[in-house]
Amino acid sequence: MNDHVLLLPILIPLVAGVITLLLRPREAIALAATAFTLVLAVFLYNHDKTFSVAWAGFGMEFLLRLYHFSSFILLAATGFSLLVVLYCCSFMRDSKHPNQFYSYLLITLAFVNGAVLADNLVLMLFFWEGLLVTLFGMIALGGREGFKTATKALIIVGISDLCLMVGIGLAGHLAGTATMSKMSLPMTPLASLAFVFMMIGAISKAGSMPFHTWIPDAAVSAPLPFMAFLPASLEKLLGIYLLARISLDLFQLSAGSWISVTMMIIGSLTILLAVMMALVQKDYKKLLSYHAISQVGYMVLGIGTCVPIGIGGGLFHMINHALYKSCLFLTGGSVEKQTGTTRLEDLGGLARKMPVTFACFVIAACAISGVPPLNGFFSKELVYAGALERGSIYYIAAVLGSFFTAASFLKLGHAAYFGKQTEASKNVKEAPWPMLVPMIVIASICVLFGLYHQLPLNEFIRPILGEQRLAAQESSGNEMLIIVTVIVLALALLHHLVAAKTMGGGLHASDHIRHAPVLTKIYDHADKGRLDPYNLALAIIRGISNLAYRFDRAVDSLYNGLSVRLAYTLSRGISLAHTGNYSLYVVWALLGVAMVLAFMRMSLWQG
Amino acid sequence: MLSIVLVPVLGALALPTVGRTSTKLRNLLALGLVLYSLIATMVIAGPVIRGEPAATATILSHSLILQADGLALFMAFVSALICAIIVVYSFGYISHYENQGEYYLMVTLFFGAMMGLVFSANLVFLYTFWEITAITSWRLIGFFRQRQHVVRADKAFLVTFFGALLMLLGFIQVYHQYGSFDLTVIKQGLQNQPLSNLAVLLILAGILSKSATLPFHTWLPDAGVAPSPVTALLHAALLVKIGVYVFARLFIATFVVDDFWHTVVPVVAAASALTSAGAALVETDLKRIIAYSTISQIAFIFLGLAVGSPMGIAGAMLYIMMHGLAKGGLFLCAGIVEQNAKTKDVTQLGGLLKTMPITAVSFLLCSFSIMGIPPFGGFFGKYMVMIGAVQSGHLWVTLVFLVGAFMTIVYLMRVFNLVFLGEAKGAAAREGSPTMVGSVASLAALSLVAGILIYYPSQFLQSTMLQLPGVIK
Repeated sequence: MNDHVLLLPILIPLVAGVITLLLRPREAIALAATAFTLVLAVFLYNHDKTFSVAWAGFGMEFLLRLYHFSSFILLAATGFSLLVVLYCCSFMRDSKHPNQFYSYLLITLAFVNGAVLADNLVLMLFFWEGLLVTLFGMIALGGREGFKTATKALIIVGISDLCLMVGIGLAGHLAGTATMSKMSLPMTPLASLAFVFMMIGAISKAGSMPFHTWIPDAAVSAPLPFMAFLPASLEKLLGIYLLARISLDLFQLSAGSWISVTMMIIGSLTILLAVMMALVQKDYKKLLSYHAISQVGYMVLGIGTCVPIGIGGGLFHMINHALYKSCLFLTGGSVEKQTGTTRLEDLGGLARKMPVTFACFVIAACAISGVPPLNGFFSKELVYAGALERGSIYYIAAVLGSFFTAASFLKLGHAAYFGKQTEASKNVKEAPWPMLVPMIVIASICVLFGLYHQLPLNEFIRPILGEQRLAAQESSGNEMLIIVTVIVLALALLHHLVAAKTMGGGLHASDHIRHAPVLTKIYDHADKGRLDPYNLALAIIRGISNLAYRFDRAVDSLYNGLSVRLAYTLSRGISLAHTGNYSLYVVWALLGVAMVLAFMRMSLWQG
Repeated sequence: MLSIVLVPVLGALALPTVGRTSTKLRNLLALGLVLYSLIATMVIAGPVIRGEPAATATILSHSLILQADGLALFMAFVSALICAIIVVYSFGYISHYENQGEYYLMVTLFFGAMMGLVFSANLVFLYTFWEITAITSWRLIGFFRQRQHVVRADKAFLVTFFGALLMLLGFIQVYHQYGSFDLTVIKQGLQNQPLSNLAVLLILAGILSKSATLPFHTWLPDAGVAPSPVTALLHAALLVKIGVYVFARLFIATFVVDDFWHTVVPVVAAASALTSAGAALVETDLKRIIAYSTISQIAFIFLGLAVGSPMGIAGAMLYIMMHGLAKGGLFLCAGIVEQNAKTKDVTQLGGLLKTMPITAVSFLLCSFSIMGIPPFGGFFGKYMVMIGAVQSGHLWVTLVFLVGAFMTIVYLMRVFNLVFLGEAKGAAAREGSPTMVGSVASLAALSLVAGILIYYPSQFLQSTMLQLPGVIK
């Protein structure tokens, strides 16, 4: 088989994306393109191929490499795209610019495929940063608020992409090559710096703290399938893919290094802080978006442990998260489509009206909460085991995160699907089949990956880690961990039941946390955006700018004021000599000529 | 090759006369003169790409030489391309104003002098063309003749002229040291004897003042009073690039300079990048913001050239091209906004996305290119400059530039949001005339195409790098 085939997963969606921008039957084109790419991805799965062609020179080569890991991400990304496109066929029917949405979606897929297949860091960066354009475009479709959020997203992601750029340059310089498969850098101080820069790029793409704040905003203003498509699935796949690549292949990262600790701290903090924010949200989509951030914490924590079981758990969690989170967003979308709102206050009693959506929601919510025997349970257990190996504090953070996750999903499910029917939910019908099919498919995969969790683990995750690492791993089937998990889940359920009863309804089950002493002040600040790192960073930049501007004006005033005055002062003496007397001028002119002649004579003598 | 310079220079003088009979003919003739140089440059470039030695032409005696090596051809091509688009834009823009004959004369003369400067391999010649560009740009900045405009034109002229005088002193030092003004002769007789630091300092003062770099930069935002196509021409595409080009021509392609300068220039550039980026974030005048942005992007070019690695230099050359295309586009968009909304104050603007969608999208795409987002061309320039700096061990300076790059994203998005989004303020502004909108759209499209087809310019620069002795390998 010709190696040029590697170009197809990039070119097909790209060309289709450009066509959908111009031509009418956009759903058909988008469906056909993603379906064909999926077939191709299945066909390419687990093949080894490379393709290279001269590109920008100076060590920048157009080098694609298909191998186990990249083919797996390729398959997952394309699969999600197909399902989201199918979902959009009904969801986007009444939206304003469906052609732009499909076009951006397809081009995004092309760039993601390109970034995953690239074996040259610069080429990867090219595709990776290129995603900014479509990201901006897709969020901007959400109207006026959308543009604001799109700007925020562009600034945050753009800045972290620039960090990635410097990291890539530094890594390429240290390794003497930009080819990823040839890199293996020992952790010198400079290499650590490169790693940190690249890590910033990777975790920010995945949506980890502190680069997360555009996601909840986008949940409100961007079209919903966007959330299921990028922040829930494709960006996670891409970000965690790079994080795994740099931790496993590109750098010789060891468990003892400070970087590993940093990653675990970032992971733990992300889990806890984001889930605390999720718990108090009163909007279906916004609540989910905070979970999309919180769950990244598990992946970063897992990979940050630098022990095989943790890394494996992190990667398994990545694919699981992409599954259940996109499913959850899609249920949110069908609720929004059918009722016209996602405010939990206006929802209630949907379980009877939308049974299929409800069933999918239950499966996905159980999966994200880590209820056995669903897929989320197994990946979380692996992350727990890895975290425990590195220190109990990380383990406690992760388990605590699970408690709040379960609590917030109990609240969400209770408020939206049970309770009294409201105005909005009175005359609701089940969503149409193009929206149901993707949800059902994803929910079934969640169940499948849970019941037969050895299948994805053996098929996808183990080959990524490599036999070498697995051989070093002692089997740590710790049954205590499972018991703790079950207890925590039971506690979450108990907490919810008690709180819902005392506070009056599922929606208010977390109100006591929102209004707890100390916490309530923090939440107040958070609601006003004062704790948003984006706002803080902008304030700092504004401060620098003001200083710089002052300095600039000072320099300018030197020209406008001082130099002019200086010139006047200096020329005052000379101007006195200008009396307007012609004979005086003639004398001066003759004197000048005499001096020139004298000078010429002197230089002649010397010459 | 002589004709590349002479046709626009001499042709320019005929333009006002032609304008008396037909303005249309005059406009087309101006465009034709620029296009002639563009095509002639491409014709000459053919053999050079194939690896034949650089073409030369002598005037008057052996010491006044024009030489077309890879560096000069690249620069000439970029300048001519952007200038042609700006002239097309002027058809629409300048038709509202008086003194059009003078306008086209000055623009074409400026362009011809620029071509002469790019190809000249003699310092006296180079200085002469340098001053012609200064005089024509002085006339163009003060084109609208208001008192304040004339004062600012004077300022621009005096600052650059002061710099040029220092540079001339530097050239005399060069003559003193090597006994010739002819760069080809100097190059042969050089034998790795570095240029004296005093001469470097003097010449650098001229370069920094022309390329509006700290501390000689403030004339550039002030010169924003000029007609928009002129600001695009001067601030974005050609005038400010003269300085960086001469830097490359002298300190990379000809002389060997002390290692010390490979550290000093990046530091100066870093300070310049930060200061101007900060100012761009505070200013409220649309054209001043873009002008400050130019200063900060010029600093990136200086960084790439000054670190001296092939990656950095090639990146800087690419960035000259990509920045010229994109920034030219931004200034021309600003011109459309200014002309139709009757104000340049960004706080008075808003909601223009609805009424001028093509301008808005072009503005956005050009901004993406300057932010360095692929697949736009600016990505490659910025990437290669920063990485070139990292590879040469200038890690700290690069980190400062990283902050500069952050701020670039922030201030460009700020401008876009203020001007094109939000509530419309004041009367609804219409889209510009077809030639104007067409030229901004084509600049945006070129920014994109240049990124996608990066292979070609990059390949050309790779072969050019081999010709330059100042490249640190």
